[in-house]
Amino acid sequence: VKPPPYPTELKPYGRALLELARDRADVLCLSADLTRQCEVDLFRDALPERFVNGGMAEQNLIGVAGGLARRGWLPFVHTFGVFCTRRPYDQVAMAVAYPDLPVRLVGFMPGLSSPGGPSHQATDDVALMRALPNMTVIDVADAVEVRQVVSALAELPGPAYLRLKRGETPVVFDERTHRFDLHSARVLRSGKDLALVTAGMMLPASIAAARLLEQHGVELTLVYAPVVKPLDTRTVLDACAGARAVLVAENHSVIGGLGSAVAETLAEAGLGRPLRRIGVQDTFAEGARTAAYLFDRYGLSTRAVVAAAWALAGCTGPAPQPPAETVPAGSYAPV
Amino acid sequence: MDEAGRADPAAGVGRLASLIRLDAARMVSRHGLGYLGQAASAAELVAAVFRRLRPDVDSFVCSPGHYVIAVYAAAARTSRLDPALLATYGDDGALLEAIGTERTPGVDMTCGSLGQGLSAAAGLALADRLAGATGHPRAAGRVYALLSDGELEEGQVWEAAMFAAHHRLDRLTVLLDCNNSQVDGPVDSITTIEPVAAKWAAFGWATVEVDGNDPAAVLGALDAAADADRPAVVVARTSVRRGLAALPADADGHFITLRPDLADRLVADLATATAAPAAGTAGTAGTEGGHR
Repeated sequence: VKPPPYPTELKPYGRALLELARDRADVLCLSADLTRQCEVDLFRDALPERFVNGGMAEQNLIGVAGGLARRGWLPFVHTFGVFCTRRPYDQVAMAVAYPDLPVRLVGFMPGLSSPGGPSHQATDDVALMRALPNMTVIDVADAVEVRQVVSALAELPGPAYLRLKRGETPVVFDERTHRFDLHSARVLRSGKDLALVTAGMMLPASIAAARLLEQHGVELTLVYAPVVKPLDTRTVLDACAGARAVLVAENHSVIGGLGSAVAETLAEAGLGRPLRRIGVQDTFAEGARTAAYLFDRYGLSTRAVVAAAWALAGCTGPAPQPPAETVPAGSYAPV
Repeated sequence: MDEAGRADPAAGVGRLASLIRLDAARMVSRHGLGYLGQAASAAELVAAVFRRLRPDVDSFVCSPGHYVIAVYAAAARTSRLDPALLATYGDDGALLEAIGTERTPGVDMTCGSLGQGLSAAAGLALADRLAGATGHPRAAGRVYALLSDGELEEGQVWEAAMFAAHHRLDRLTVLLDCNNSQVDGPVDSITTIEPVAAKWAAFGWATVEVDGNDPAAVLGALDAAADADRPAVVVARTSVRRGLAALPADADGHFITLRPDLADRLVADLATATAAPAAGTAGTAGTEGGHR
């Protein structure tokens, strides 16, 4: 994969859902007062007869979605990640996950990507959704995958939680060659020293870190695992078995997310490797104005990934520093 | 529906309600305690719904999952459930759990986590409306949702009430069992939920307030609800002691404890009550007393 900065797209999800709905008459779009912010103003304007705005009442909306799905509709529910996981958790558990209904919960503003403070930062959404039986949990942040994941979700019989970056979405993968599927993690590069497993918004920083580390003699295998549950444990184990230590980078609490899933996988397989988890370190993140500030302050920067890998690889001396890059307008580069 | 029920729908509902109480008393007596009060208060509501439900057209949501004891009895008495299963109620490994599950027969949805049922019912009603464009028979369906008064303490109920009224889900009927009973005691001693009917009216619903243990009144209320141009709620004033005269005055109506002698007396009283009106209607549900 190519290094950052990446070109960006606006509303790749909103366009993909509309495209899917034009093909499939059973697709419904449910919103909770954050219609434009969740890119589904496109759907509302084009297919109003299949758009339902439930207002600021997520507990009810989840229940309504369950009722619709029981009658054969395919509801996609849209709001910010915190408001479709943390707030209506019992409703998601009882009205969607337990009956194993094909409701899609689409939560925007994952992790520390929001200037909205702890109330708006979905730092535990993956952990919450991963704990629910039947639930598929997906963390993508690339526009190419966003398009592909929407069609993949149309075919999934059970429920799913999809967390999506809001606003400009980077184009990391090559549309012509990249193929998302719900069962496979992807090895983006191979190296003998470390295995780095990542997903979602930490992909660009992980790619940048891997390149910088390589220039300084640390080779790592980079595994991209956007489907956090069910995790492709085969690919993760193969990658980790070939490395001396394992690093996980995620835009989420280090408790209960991808890092935990990898740790559980290694432990259950009896594969002992030192493990470091890059993520939100069991804290609420204050001081928000920009995602860049938060990523830097709370240890989600390229620098943080490099430093953790450097120490984990047993390298001495100061860790290499990522060059300060100027990011062209409309492009995306990790912090 | 049996012949007598066709001739006199209220009598048919009354008879089915008595059988629900009898079966519930038998189910609870095996365990010595359980949700008999809910079956007693909601018997006429459940009976009326089961008399009206058209298979694959109408839907029934039992929001308070512990009320399924009444649903099990009604389903068994209307050929929707093997009556022999009633004797397994609440046992380890049983299909008929004391608090309803996804496997619960006789309902389209039930939830033990209270306050969630109306949202599901609104979803079903919305699905039926959307099905109208495809000519599906459910487009002509009605969604019945049984709720309890204690559930009104859950905020989600009011979210759902606003949603249903805003979207004008006129095929949605709530049967609200106001039995003034919850775990900690009488509802009105814990949270003031009155004026119940006025609250629903303020939320945009058609309301009918009736004696919920009067079969004719309940059927009349369902007719009025069906005629409304908006979602409708039947505010049913009921008692957890209805038909259970032998119950001590200090009994906990939410989770009734039955010593064997009391259980025997309640079952005998209810058996007598159901035997009398059933006489002369051979082959009807009223004569199917020997399910245990």
